[in-house]
Amino acid sequence: MNEYTGIVVTFVLAGGIAAAMVVLGSTLGKKKPTPEKLAPFECGKDPFSLPMGRLAIKFYLTAILFILFDVELVFLYPWAVIYRTLGFLGLVEMGAFLGILMVGYVYAWDNGALDWK
Amino acid sequence: MKGAATLADLALLVPELILVGMALALILTARRIQKTPVAAVGTVLAALAAAVAAGWTLSEDAQTGFSGMITVDEYSQFFKVLIAATLALAALLAVRSIDRERIPRAEYHALLLLASTGMMLAVSALDLLTLYLGLELMTLCSYILVGIRVERPTSNEAAIKYFLLASFASALLLYGISLTYGVTGATDFAGIASALGEQGSNQLLSVAIGLVTVGIAFKIAAVPLHAWAPDAYQGASAPVAAFLAAGSKAAGLAALGRVGLVAFGSEADVLSAVLLGLAALSILVGSVVALSQTDMKRLLAYSSIAHAGYALLGLIAGTPEGASATMTYAFFYVFMTLGAFGVVIALGERGETLDGYQGLAAQRPGTAAILLLFLLSLTGIPPTAGFVAKFVVILSAVRAGHMALAVLAVACSVISAFIYMRVAVFMYMREPRDPAPPRFPMAVSAALGVAALVTLIGGISPGSLTLWAVSP
Repeated sequence: MNEYTGIVVTFVLAGGIAAAMVVLGSTLGKKKPTPEKLAPFECGKDPFSLPMGRLAIKFYLTAILFILFDVELVFLYPWAVIYRTLGFLGLVEMGAFLGILMVGYVYAWDNGALDWK
Repeated sequence: MKGAATLADLALLVPELILVGMALALILTARRIQKTPVAAVGTVLAALAAAVAAGWTLSEDAQTGFSGMITVDEYSQFFKVLIAATLALAALLAVRSIDRERIPRAEYHALLLLASTGMMLAVSALDLLTLYLGLELMTLCSYILVGIRVERPTSNEAAIKYFLLASFASALLLYGISLTYGVTGATDFAGIASALGEQGSNQLLSVAIGLVTVGIAFKIAAVPLHAWAPDAYQGASAPVAAFLAAGSKAAGLAALGRVGLVAFGSEADVLSAVLLGLAALSILVGSVVALSQTDMKRLLAYSSIAHAGYALLGLIAGTPEGASATMTYAFFYVFMTLGAFGVVIALGERGETLDGYQGLAAQRPGTAAILLLFLLSLTGIPPTAGFVAKFVVILSAVRAGHMALAVLAVACSVISAFIYMRVAVFMYMREPRDPAPPRFPMAVSAALGVAALVTLIGGISPGSLTLWAVSP
């Protein structure tokens, strides 16, 4: 057993589950297509349009808030892997990191970034 | 275990932690702070506390922490105190402009604090990556500070220009770091130095040194990497321009000094060739182009470019004495440039153009006199600190055998006298055109007083202040 076998298994499992869901859904599921349903999905905005139109800035704000937590997760994973070796100080450091991130979140909240006006 | 920080490591970062703590507090209470002085006082107190914490271990030996990533030695302490002073003065000088230009007050101060944290990290870095991290933290905050007047198109334009050029320079720096790692197999300064001692020089290494130097030289706006400075300073609010001109330059010079002396010490030829070109071009272009400026912030931007060139004169020698001369230059430059910018800030709209200074001496003799002091110091006329600063760096260049460069520096000093004295002529020999400016707020007067005091004391007894300029 190579040390990379685990990664291959993960790839196969992840690919298999995703593929199974798509295949099962498209073969077993009921189909009542409407033009709305058939349109490509892109988070509430028109997927194809000329670039002249104006787009609400709210989407970008939401995307940036999403990145806040996205990056947080990226850092949480490696920390979780070596959690035991880092010990208590590692926990404190992660707490500091999350705390600073939360300050940014509170700031965004305070300034009305979460109100969908 | 290696990797995890201990409390002893954190103790080295107390100044940075103080600044970050205050910045977080300001961000949390941003919408509840209704008065600018509240934020300014908090920032100044944090700066003072950081300066005290940085100076606390001044007499002790150098300490390293975070697996050799960070050091606290006399070199970093010197610059940390200088950066804290820049921060405090930038906060004090901005007190009225923030209200007048409707700059978000808590955000302005929080960004100043975070940018200063980045500068402090950069000056105490013992590893190219920590250095990069510090410089990036500084630059990221600077982008936002330059564009903080959101509703003004000029401010946005300046921020975008600054962002595009600075990202390019950051990429060059990173590329240089990766090439250095490729040649030496190390990113920490000691590791690079020992690897170079064993294997000697090669072509790729010269490229790496050039790229690292150029990437850092962008931060101090040395020619030919200066193009961002005039536009960024002009578009930015005057206090932001002052902070960038002083702090960014001090941090960049500190980083360049340590990288040059500690990491690439064995490759002094390559390094001094690159620095020689940067210094000569900066002095010449900065002095000559400043002649045609009529906007005060642009004029001071070109002046700061020329001063970056003068400051580099000390580093060309590649000796501890040379680095110490550059430290002296950086120290005095920070106070005289913050002073000159301070008067521009205090005069408001009127101070932004050269014509606004007509007849200032008749209306406000005190203000005119203090600006004259800073202008004399920027020119390098005794008994001001600017003379001492120019003297030590030019002396260092002469000792290193660069006579032609020294002659160029002195000649350009004469050209720069014309630039600065033109403002003095406007103040003293023209009739007033605009109504007299209102009284300055106490905070602005205090900051101008401190800057003037350092400029004078530095000129009269230079030893008392530059005693601490100990090279790495």
